[in-house]
Amino acid sequence: MTTAIPLPVWWDDAADGGTNMAADEALAAEAERRGGLVVRLYAWTPAAVSLGAFQKIADARSIPAIADVPLVRRPSGGGAIVHGSDLTYAAAVPKAHPWGRVPQAFYDALHEAMVAALADRGIAARLHVAAGRPAADDGAFFCFDRRAAGDIVATPPNAAPAPQDPKIMGSAQRRPPGVVLQHGSLLLRASEAVGPVARHAGVLDLRPEIALDVRGLAGAWLERVARSCGCRVVWQTASFRREREAEVAQNAVRFRAEQWTARR
Amino acid sequence: MAAELKFAKTHEWVRPDEGGLATVGISAYAVEALTDLVFMQLPAVGRRVKAGESIGEIESVKAVSDFYAPVSGEVVAVNESLPSQLETLGKDPYGAGWIVRIRPDDPAEMSGLLDRAAYDALVKSEQH
Repeated sequence: MTTAIPLPVWWDDAADGGTNMAADEALAAEAERRGGLVVRLYAWTPAAVSLGAFQKIADARSIPAIADVPLVRRPSGGGAIVHGSDLTYAAAVPKAHPWGRVPQAFYDALHEAMVAALADRGIAARLHVAAGRPAADDGAFFCFDRRAAGDIVATPPNAAPAPQDPKIMGSAQRRPPGVVLQHGSLLLRASEAVGPVARHAGVLDLRPEIALDVRGLAGAWLERVARSCGCRVVWQTASFRREREAEVAQNAVRFRAEQWTARR
Repeated sequence: MAAELKFAKTHEWVRPDEGGLATVGISAYAVEALTDLVFMQLPAVGRRVKAGESIGEIESVKAVSDFYAPVSGEVVAVNESLPSQLETLGKDPYGAGWIVRIRPDDPAEMSGLLDRAAYDALVKSEQH
Protein backbone atom coordinates (compact mmCIF):
# COMPACT_ATOMS: atom_id res chain seq x y z
CA MET A 1 0.00 0.00 0.00
CA THR A 2 1.36 3.43 -0.86
CA THR A 3 0.34 6.55 0.95
CA ALA A 4 0.06 9.66 -1.18
CA ILE A 5 1.65 12.80 0.21
CA PRO A 6 -0.93 15.32 1.45
CA LEU A 7 -1.37 18.44 -0.68
CA PRO A 8 -2.95 21.00 1.65
CA VAL A 9 -5.27 23.42 -0.13
CA TRP A 10 -6.82 26.46 1.49
CA TRP A 11 -9.70 28.37 -0.09
CA ASP A 12 -9.53 31.75 1.53
CA ASP A 13 -12.21 34.40 1.62
CA ALA A 14 -11.54 37.62 -0.26
CA ALA A 15 -9.04 40.12 1.11
CA ASP A 16 -7.22 43.28 0.08
CA GLY A 17 -4.01 43.15 -1.93
CA GLY A 18 -1.58 43.72 0.93
CA THR A 19 -3.18 40.96 3.00
CA ASN A 20 -3.13 38.55 0.06
CA MET A 21 0.55 39.16 -0.67
CA ALA A 22 1.34 38.80 3.02
CA ALA A 23 -0.55 35.50 3.21
CA ASP A 24 1.32 34.20 0.18
CA GLU A 25 4.64 35.02 1.78
CA ALA A 26 3.50 33.04 4.82
CA LEU A 27 2.42 30.24 2.47
CA ALA A 28 5.96 30.01 1.07
CA ALA A 29 7.27 29.62 4.60
CA GLU A 30 4.62 26.93 5.18
CA ALA A 31 5.88 24.96 2.14
CA GLU A 32 9.39 25.05 3.56
CA ARG A 33 8.18 23.92 6.98
CA ARG A 34 6.13 21.07 5.55
CA GLY A 35 8.68 20.12 2.89
CA GLY A 36 6.09 19.83 0.12
CA LEU A 37 3.61 21.51 -2.20
CA VAL A 38 0.95 23.77 -0.66
CA VAL A 39 -1.75 25.80 -2.44
CA ARG A 40 -3.93 28.76 -1.52
CA LEU A 41 -6.88 29.88 -3.65
CA TYR A 42 -8.34 33.30 -3.07
CA ALA A 43 -10.19 36.37 -4.26
CA TRP A 44 -9.75 40.11 -3.86
CA THR A 45 -11.82 42.83 -2.28
CA PRO A 46 -11.66 45.54 -3.27
CA ALA A 47 -10.61 44.91 -6.86
CA ALA A 48 -6.93 45.72 -7.22
CA VAL A 49 -4.05 45.74 -9.67
CA SER A 50 -0.98 43.73 -8.73
CA LEU A 51 2.29 44.85 -10.26
CA GLY A 52 5.15 42.50 -11.10
CA ALA A 53 8.22 42.85 -8.91
CA PHE A 54 10.14 44.87 -11.51
CA GLN A 55 7.39 47.01 -12.98
CA LYS A 56 7.61 50.77 -12.66
CA ILE A 57 5.08 52.52 -10.48
CA ALA A 58 5.18 55.50 -12.86
CA ASP A 59 3.94 53.26 -15.67
CA ALA A 60 1.02 52.12 -13.51
CA ARG A 61 0.13 55.66 -12.49
CA SER A 62 0.15 56.85 -16.08
CA ILE A 63 -2.74 54.55 -17.05
CA PRO A 64 -6.08 56.30 -16.34
CA ALA A 65 -7.98 53.02 -16.74
CA ILE A 66 -6.62 51.72 -13.43
CA ALA A 67 -6.53 55.01 -11.54
CA ASP A 68 -9.50 54.11 -9.35
CA VAL A 69 -8.24 50.79 -8.02
CA PRO A 70 -5.55 50.18 -5.40
CA LEU A 71 -2.12 48.97 -6.45
CA VAL A 72 -0.10 46.30 -4.71
CA ARG A 73 3.30 45.01 -5.75
CA ARG A 74 3.82 41.27 -5.91
CA PRO A 75 7.10 39.72 -4.91
CA SER A 76 6.84 37.62 -8.10
CA GLY A 77 7.71 38.69 -11.63
CA GLY A 78 5.60 39.16 -14.74
CA GLY A 79 3.14 41.87 -15.78
CA ALA A 80 0.31 43.68 -14.02
CA ILE A 81 -2.94 41.84 -13.31
CA VAL A 82 -6.38 43.28 -12.61
CA HIS A 83 -7.84 41.19 -9.78
CA GLY A 84 -11.39 40.95 -8.56
CA SER A 85 -12.96 38.89 -11.33
CA ASP A 86 -10.32 36.18 -11.54
CA LEU A 87 -9.38 33.04 -9.62
CA THR A 88 -6.01 33.71 -8.05
CA TYR A 89 -3.78 31.02 -6.66
CA ALA A 90 -0.50 30.88 -4.82
CA ALA A 91 1.42 27.62 -4.78
CA ALA A 92 4.73 26.97 -3.11
CA VAL A 93 7.23 24.12 -3.16
CA PRO A 94 10.66 23.64 -1.63
CA LYS A 95 13.41 24.02 -4.21
CA ALA A 96 14.38 20.41 -3.58
CA HIS A 97 10.99 19.34 -5.02
CA PRO A 98 11.13 18.27 -8.69
CA TRP A 99 8.96 21.30 -9.54
CA GLY A 100 11.18 23.67 -7.58
CA ARG A 101 14.42 23.24 -9.45
CA VAL A 102 13.80 25.23 -12.61
CA PRO A 103 11.03 27.79 -13.23
CA GLN A 104 9.31 26.22 -16.24
CA ALA A 105 8.63 22.87 -14.54
CA PHE A 106 6.27 24.38 -11.97
CA TYR A 107 4.46 26.55 -14.57
CA ASP A 108 3.95 23.66 -16.89
CA ALA A 109 2.76 21.24 -14.20
CA LEU A 110 0.03 23.58 -12.96
CA HIS A 111 -0.90 24.92 -16.38
CA GLU A 112 -1.11 21.51 -18.07
CA ALA A 113 -3.44 20.36 -15.30
CA MET A 114 -5.65 23.42 -15.82
CA VAL A 115 -5.80 22.86 -19.58
CA ALA A 116 -7.01 19.32 -18.91
CA ALA A 117 -9.56 20.44 -16.30
CA LEU A 118 -10.93 23.05 -18.70
CA ALA A 119 -11.11 20.49 -21.50
CA ASP A 120 -13.22 18.23 -19.25
CA ARG A 121 -15.71 21.10 -19.08
CA GLY A 122 -15.76 21.65 -22.82
CA ILE A 123 -13.39 24.60 -22.85
CA ALA A 124 -10.55 24.19 -25.31
CA ALA A 125 -7.30 25.79 -24.26
CA ARG A 126 -3.62 25.15 -24.79
CA LEU A 127 -0.18 26.12 -23.58
CA HIS A 128 1.36 28.93 -25.58
CA VAL A 129 4.44 27.93 -27.52
CA ALA A 130 6.91 30.81 -27.64
CA ALA A 131 8.75 31.44 -30.88
CA GLY A 132 12.30 32.40 -30.03
CA ARG A 133 13.49 34.39 -27.06
CA PRO A 134 11.15 37.02 -25.62
CA ALA A 135 12.03 40.66 -25.88
CA ALA A 136 13.01 42.32 -22.60
CA ASP A 137 9.81 42.44 -20.50
CA ASP A 138 7.81 41.86 -23.69
CA GLY A 139 6.81 45.53 -23.75
CA ALA A 140 3.26 45.10 -22.51
CA PHE A 141 2.24 46.43 -19.09
CA PHE A 142 -0.53 43.91 -18.45
CA CYS A 143 0.19 40.22 -17.95
CA PHE A 144 -2.73 39.30 -20.20
CA ASP A 145 -1.29 41.33 -23.07
CA ARG A 146 1.94 39.34 -22.88
CA ARG A 147 2.68 35.84 -24.12
CA ALA A 148 5.33 33.58 -22.62
CA ALA A 149 5.97 29.90 -23.09
CA GLY A 150 3.49 27.91 -21.06
CA ASP A 151 0.83 30.61 -20.67
CA ILE A 152 -2.69 29.27 -21.21
CA VAL A 153 -4.55 30.60 -24.22
CA ALA A 154 -8.14 29.78 -25.08
CA THR A 155 -8.94 28.19 -28.41
CA PRO A 156 -12.27 29.45 -29.78
CA PRO A 157 -14.87 26.73 -30.41
CA ASN A 158 -14.85 25.28 -33.91
CA ALA A 159 -11.73 27.20 -34.85
CA ALA A 160 -8.11 26.37 -35.40
CA PRO A 161 -5.59 27.76 -32.89
CA ALA A 162 -4.48 31.25 -33.90
CA PRO A 163 -1.75 33.58 -32.61
CA GLN A 164 -4.30 36.17 -31.44
CA ASP A 165 -6.22 33.71 -29.26
CA PRO A 166 -6.75 35.27 -25.83
CA LYS A 167 -4.57 34.43 -22.87
CA ILE A 168 -6.69 33.28 -19.94
CA MET A 169 -4.11 32.17 -17.38
CA GLY A 170 -0.60 33.21 -16.50
CA SER A 171 1.74 32.61 -13.58
CA ALA A 172 4.93 34.09 -12.17
CA GLN A 173 7.41 33.15 -9.50
CA ARG A 174 9.56 34.42 -6.68
CA ARG A 175 12.50 32.17 -5.86
CA PRO A 176 13.87 33.00 -2.42
CA PRO A 177 16.37 30.58 -0.86
CA GLY A 178 14.94 27.13 -0.35
CA VAL A 179 11.46 27.66 -1.76
CA VAL A 180 9.53 28.75 -4.84
CA LEU A 181 6.39 30.86 -4.59
CA GLN A 182 4.26 30.82 -7.73
CA HIS A 183 1.37 33.20 -8.26
CA GLY A 184 -1.18 32.70 -11.00
CA SER A 185 -4.47 34.04 -12.23
CA LEU A 186 -7.25 32.42 -14.25
CA LEU A 187 -9.36 35.18 -15.77
CA LEU A 188 -13.05 34.55 -15.21
CA ARG A 189 -14.60 37.81 -16.45
CA ALA A 190 -13.36 41.14 -17.75
CA SER A 191 -13.19 43.49 -14.78
CA GLU A 192 -15.71 46.32 -14.56
CA ALA A 193 -13.58 48.06 -11.96
CA VAL A 194 -11.16 49.34 -14.60
CA GLY A 195 -11.35 51.13 -17.92
CA PRO A 196 -11.54 49.31 -21.27
CA VAL A 197 -7.78 49.26 -21.96
CA ALA A 198 -7.24 47.30 -18.76
CA ARG A 199 -10.02 44.79 -19.41
CA HIS A 200 -9.33 41.31 -20.69
CA ALA A 201 -11.98 38.73 -21.50
CA GLY A 202 -12.18 35.80 -19.13
CA VAL A 203 -13.34 32.23 -19.54
CA LEU A 204 -16.94 33.11 -18.67
CA ASP A 205 -16.94 35.89 -21.29
CA LEU A 206 -15.42 33.69 -23.95
CA ARG A 207 -17.71 30.73 -23.34
CA PRO A 208 -20.96 32.17 -21.97
CA GLU A 209 -22.91 29.11 -23.08
CA ILE A 210 -21.05 26.94 -20.55
CA ALA A 211 -22.28 26.97 -16.94
CA LEU A 212 -18.91 26.88 -15.27
CA ASP A 213 -18.73 25.98 -11.59
CA VAL A 214 -15.51 27.73 -10.61
CA ARG A 215 -15.08 25.85 -7.36
CA GLY A 216 -15.61 22.56 -9.19
CA LEU A 217 -13.07 23.57 -11.83
CA ALA A 218 -10.53 24.49 -9.15
CA GLY A 219 -11.08 21.18 -7.39
CA ALA A 220 -10.67 19.18 -10.59
CA TRP A 221 -7.56 21.18 -11.47
CA LEU A 222 -5.91 20.51 -8.14
CA GLU A 223 -6.86 16.82 -8.21
CA ARG A 224 -4.93 16.61 -11.47
CA VAL A 225 -2.02 18.56 -10.01
CA ALA A 226 -1.97 16.21 -7.02
CA ARG A 227 -2.01 13.09 -9.16
CA SER A 228 0.88 14.31 -11.27
CA CYS A 229 3.11 14.65 -8.21
CA GLY A 230 1.96 11.65 -6.23
CA CYS A 231 -0.10 13.68 -3.78
CA ARG A 232 -3.69 13.73 -2.59
CA VAL A 233 -5.61 16.96 -2.10
CA VAL A 234 -6.49 17.72 1.52
CA TRP A 235 -8.92 20.63 1.68
CA GLN A 236 -8.32 22.73 4.76
CA THR A 237 -11.43 23.84 6.56
CA ALA A 238 -9.91 26.98 8.06
CA SER A 239 -8.79 30.10 6.24
CA PHE A 240 -5.01 30.13 5.79
CA ARG A 241 -4.71 33.83 6.42
CA ARG A 242 -6.79 33.54 9.59
CA GLU A 243 -4.78 30.53 10.76
CA ARG A 244 -1.63 32.60 10.34
CA GLU A 245 -3.19 35.87 11.39
CA ALA A 246 -0.23 37.29 13.32
CA GLU A 247 2.33 36.35 10.65
CA VAL A 248 0.11 37.70 7.87
CA ALA A 249 -0.51 40.95 9.74
CA GLN A 250 3.22 41.41 10.23
CA ASN A 251 4.01 40.70 6.56
CA ALA A 252 1.16 42.97 5.40
CA VAL A 253 2.77 46.05 6.89
CA ARG A 254 5.52 45.82 4.28
CA PHE A 255 3.22 45.04 1.36
CA ARG A 256 0.97 47.99 2.19
CA ALA A 257 3.85 50.42 2.57
CA GLU A 258 4.40 53.00 -0.17
CA GLN A 259 8.11 52.20 0.08
CA TRP A 260 7.35 48.69 -1.24
CA THR A 261 4.68 49.56 -3.77
CA ALA A 262 6.70 52.44 -5.27
CA ARG A 263 10.10 50.77 -4.99
CA ARG A 264 10.58 51.01 -8.75
CA MET B 1 35.27 26.83 -14.84
CA ALA B 2 38.42 28.06 -13.08
CA ALA B 3 39.66 25.84 -10.27
CA GLU B 4 40.27 28.71 -7.84
CA LEU B 5 36.60 29.65 -7.70
CA LYS B 6 34.59 29.06 -4.57
CA PHE B 7 30.82 28.64 -4.57
CA ALA B 8 27.90 29.37 -2.28
CA LYS B 9 25.07 26.86 -1.98
CA THR B 10 22.86 29.59 -3.44
CA HIS B 11 24.88 29.36 -6.70
CA GLU B 12 27.07 32.47 -6.48
CA TRP B 13 30.76 32.07 -7.27
CA VAL B 14 33.63 34.01 -5.69
CA ARG B 15 37.12 34.57 -7.02
CA PRO B 16 39.80 36.02 -4.74
CA ASP B 17 41.53 38.74 -6.74
CA GLU B 18 44.72 40.70 -6.40
CA GLY B 19 44.38 43.48 -3.91
CA GLY B 20 42.31 41.37 -1.56
CA LEU B 21 39.01 41.86 -3.38
CA ALA B 22 36.45 39.12 -4.00
CA THR B 23 34.82 39.09 -7.43
CA VAL B 24 31.32 37.59 -7.37
CA GLY B 25 29.02 36.22 -10.05
CA ILE B 26 26.42 33.50 -10.49
CA SER B 27 27.22 30.06 -11.81
CA ALA B 28 26.56 28.85 -15.33
CA TYR B 29 24.15 26.28 -13.88
CA ALA B 30 22.11 29.01 -12.18
CA VAL B 31 22.04 31.17 -15.31
CA GLU B 32 20.89 28.25 -17.42
CA ALA B 33 18.21 27.30 -14.89
CA LEU B 34 16.77 30.82 -14.85
CA THR B 35 16.51 31.04 -18.67
CA ASP B 36 15.63 34.16 -20.65
CA LEU B 37 16.85 36.88 -18.30
CA VAL B 38 15.12 40.23 -18.71
CA PHE B 39 16.13 42.49 -15.83
CA MET B 40 18.74 42.83 -13.13
CA GLN B 41 19.16 45.12 -10.16
CA LEU B 42 22.65 45.65 -8.79
CA PRO B 43 23.59 46.81 -5.29
CA ALA B 44 24.97 50.29 -4.70
CA VAL B 45 28.71 50.75 -4.54
CA GLY B 46 29.69 51.39 -0.94
CA ARG B 47 26.96 49.19 0.53
CA ARG B 48 27.95 47.05 3.50
CA VAL B 49 26.76 43.47 3.08
CA LYS B 50 26.68 40.37 5.24
CA ALA B 51 27.29 36.86 3.96
CA GLY B 52 23.97 35.34 2.92
CA GLU B 53 22.26 38.73 2.53
CA SER B 54 20.36 39.48 -0.68
CA ILE B 55 22.35 42.04 -2.66
CA GLY B 56 20.33 42.17 -5.85
CA GLU B 57 17.56 40.68 -7.92
CA ILE B 58 17.40 39.11 -11.31
CA GLU B 59 14.25 38.55 -13.33
CA SER B 60 13.80 35.96 -16.01
CA VAL B 61 10.65 35.99 -18.12
CA LYS B 62 8.45 35.33 -15.10
CA ALA B 63 10.64 34.42 -12.16
CA VAL B 64 12.37 36.78 -9.78
CA SER B 65 15.40 35.46 -7.92
CA ASP B 66 17.66 37.13 -5.41
CA PHE B 67 21.41 36.78 -5.46
CA TYR B 68 23.35 36.77 -2.25
CA ALA B 69 26.63 38.02 -0.87
CA PRO B 70 28.84 34.98 -0.40
CA VAL B 71 31.10 36.96 1.96
CA SER B 72 30.64 39.92 4.30
CA GLY B 73 32.24 43.21 3.39
CA GLU B 74 31.82 46.36 1.32
CA VAL B 75 30.68 46.48 -2.29
CA VAL B 76 33.47 48.37 -4.06
CA ALA B 77 32.46 47.87 -7.70
CA VAL B 78 29.53 46.62 -9.77
CA ASN B 79 29.42 45.52 -13.39
CA GLU B 80 27.33 48.44 -14.60
CA SER B 81 27.10 47.22 -18.17
CA LEU B 82 25.52 43.92 -17.14
CA PRO B 83 21.85 44.97 -16.76
CA SER B 84 21.81 46.16 -20.37
CA GLN B 85 23.79 43.15 -21.62
CA LEU B 86 22.29 40.25 -19.70
CA GLU B 87 23.33 37.80 -22.39
CA THR B 88 26.86 38.18 -21.02
CA LEU B 89 25.80 36.18 -17.98
CA GLY B 90 25.12 33.20 -20.20
CA LYS B 91 28.06 33.67 -22.57
CA ASP B 92 30.79 34.25 -19.99
CA PRO B 93 29.43 33.71 -16.46
CA TYR B 94 32.88 33.38 -14.86
CA GLY B 95 34.51 36.25 -16.71
CA ALA B 96 32.76 39.24 -18.28
CA GLY B 97 29.58 38.19 -16.45
CA TRP B 98 30.95 39.13 -13.03
CA ILE B 99 28.42 41.06 -10.95
CA VAL B 100 30.08 42.75 -7.97
CA ARG B 101 33.43 43.14 -6.29
CA ILE B 102 33.46 43.00 -2.51
CA ARG B 103 36.23 43.99 -0.12
CA PRO B 104 35.84 41.15 2.42
CA ASP B 105 35.88 41.92 6.12
CA ASP B 106 37.54 38.57 6.67
CA PRO B 107 39.10 36.88 3.62
CA ALA B 108 39.20 33.62 5.59
CA GLU B 109 35.39 33.54 5.31
CA MET B 110 35.84 32.27 1.75
CA SER B 111 37.33 29.04 3.05
CA GLY B 112 33.87 28.07 4.29
CA LEU B 113 32.48 28.08 0.74
CA LEU B 114 32.30 25.07 -1.58
CA ASP B 115 35.18 24.14 -3.84
CA ARG B 116 34.48 23.18 -7.44
CA ALA B 117 34.10 19.46 -6.73
CA ALA B 118 31.67 20.06 -3.88
CA TYR B 119 29.67 22.53 -5.98
CA ASP B 120 29.53 20.10 -8.91
CA ALA B 121 28.18 17.49 -6.49
CA LEU B 122 25.54 19.97 -5.27
CA VAL B 123 24.44 20.69 -8.83
CA LYS B 124 24.30 16.98 -9.60
CA SER B 125 22.12 16.37 -6.56
CA GLU B 126 19.74 19.18 -7.62
CA GLN B 127 19.38 17.70 -11.07
CA HIS B 128 18.12 14.36 -9.71
